Amino acid sequence: MTVAPPDTSTKYDLDFAKWVYENIEGGDKLALCMQCGVCSGSCPIGVQMDYGPRKLFMMIRAGMKEEVMTSSTQWNCTSCYRCVVRCPRSVPVTYILQDLAAKSAELGYAQKTNENVNFARSFWWSAKTFGRTDERLVTALYYFSFGLKEGYQRGLANLKIALNFVKRGRMHIGLPHRIKGRRQLKAILAKAEEIAKREGLH
Amino acid sequence: MTLDGPKAGPKSQTILVVGGGIAGITAALEAAETGHEVVLLEQGPSLGGRVTRLARYFPKLCHPTCGLEINYQRIKKNPRLKVMTMCEPTAVAGRKGAFTVTIRRHPRYVNDKCTACGECAKATAIRVPNPYNYGLDKVSAAYLPHEHAMPMRYVIDPAAMRAGEGAKLKAACAYGAVDPDEKETTFELSVGAIIWATGWRPYDPNKLDVYSYGHSADIINNVEMERLAAHDGPTQGKILRPSNGEPAKRVALIQCAGSRDNNHLPYCSRICCLGSLKHAAYVREQYADAEVHIYYIDIRAHDKLEAFYNKVRSDPQVRFIKSKPAHIRVGDDGRPVLFGERTIDRQIYAEPYDLVVLATGMEPSAVEGYRPAVSLAADDYGFLVANEQDGDDGIFSAGVASGPLDVSMSVQSATAAALKAVQAVRSGM
Repeated sequence: MTVAPPDTSTKYDLDFAKWVYENIEGGDKLALCMQCGVCSGSCPIGVQMDYGPRKLFMMIRAGMKEEVMTSSTQWNCTSCYRCVVRCPRSVPVTYILQDLAAKSAELGYAQKTNENVNFARSFWWSAKTFGRTDERLVTALYYFSFGLKEGYQRGLANLKIALNFVKRGRMHIGLPHRIKGRRQLKAILAKAEEIAKREGLH
Repeated sequence: MTLDGPKAGPKSQTILVVGGGIAGITAALEAAETGHEVVLLEQGPSLGGRVTRLARYFPKLCHPTCGLEINYQRIKKNPRLKVMTMCEPTAVAGRKGAFTVTIRRHPRYVNDKCTACGECAKATAIRVPNPYNYGLDKVSAAYLPHEHAMPMRYVIDPAAMRAGEGAKLKAACAYGAVDPDEKETTFELSVGAIIWATGWRPYDPNKLDVYSYGHSADIINNVEMERLAAHDGPTQGKILRPSNGEPAKRVALIQCAGSRDNNHLPYCSRICCLGSLKHAAYVREQYADAEVHIYYIDIRAHDKLEAFYNKVRSDPQVRFIKSKPAHIRVGDDGRPVLFGERTIDRQIYAEPYDLVVLATGMEPSAVEGYRPAVSLAADDYGFLVANEQDGDDGIFSAGVASGPLDVSMSVQSATAAALKAVQAVRSGM
């Protein structure tokens, strides 16, 4: 068993845990975590996370703000809820990770390290504009969010897959599908925004 | 004797103890040895409960048979203590000094003329899962509960009677001890105080669906491990893989399998850590080349028990892995594979084992419907607690019926309950 020696260059923000408890959805339940490891062990893509939820929660308690807010853990979560179902202390792991992702994007941390934030932005643009996600537009927006050159490169690399999708009727040609009540959707989202502001959720 | 007012009516000074495990035996003896009449009820065919099924005690690794034998001698010498097996209470009415307890006696089909010769067992081909070994093997439907049974008397499983074996069994007995016509009976007892020592059962490992208990014979629980290690168990004390009978040389012990888990038992069952340390010692005693891995959240070895923990920890072939396993699957070669995260170094693991032992926790036996109708209440977890703060209502709990305890703590709890019961029947004399 190899354990990395302590890194003395790490900066600790001793108010960070308190900030998470008070500002992240489900964060107040974080204190219940007993570090058993069931969440990270159960995670179907746990090996693709830099820390995994258990370690991330310990880092929050330790005050490792920079490392937590730039972590890939909250962005790689697929919301399968296996950790939530199995957690012996009923910590809402998925909710905490989702809100950590949102807050790390909002506060400008996520862009530094994680491209999933670009995907999330493209996805949300399509969802709020059309009431549906249009694969072509979401993908294009996501690819070109990395710049013109990389956008072309990524697009070309996936062209064959896209054409096969079209051929098999899995992706359509023409205008994006959209829902009928787009005006109502806009009103709903505006109301949600208003409530969030009022409740201090932003 | 009669008294006026609310305490009017005949007073009984008899103490009823429900449950013939280590707590019930202790409470009954302690009370009887103060000079009171005591009735000890046991729902099974013999005394000793869970303790008689342990291979050894922690931390000294001595045999429970020894202490139980001393207690059985005390019972035999005490004319004031009456033991009734195959009996369970179905209703309790009345109040301190004047309880009426309704008791159901299940047929044993064997009376006290039995000499334990064993001829009845040979007379039937019907075999039933052996309750003494938690069903790990089978036993003749006419069986002695185990070699150290108290009373030393055979019992016949109702399955044999349903199969029409009664006449054959009766004919096989040279002493007229088999009574195929015995029926279930109900009777009432008048007692002055009641000690509820109904004990526990292992948390059902099938409820821990991620641990695949029912999917591999090599995934067992801690009470079954005791039987594998016991000389009168299904393997005569050799720790073998139930699937193929080969020695289990790579063994995983999983702590908190059901305990300290909001989805199962929210409380710590207190005995499992020490039980698993003992299991590690069993395996290492038998196989010089065995590897034992203990998966834990934290080891709870309180006070003097920490010395045993340190002793087991000093064995380089026992590894302590800080991790609650996420799930167990059966691998391609049929061995159970543990998946999870080692929390010290964040390694995600997939480890195969010959044998996996789930340290399932203790669940109180006295569930709804079997709880005394008067006085005793249950806490959030189903353990019995006194309703009134002073416990002055004549009904008490002892041993694991009152909370998760190890054997020595159960004995202390039972002795305390005996004193309370003696005080209860003497008050108002």
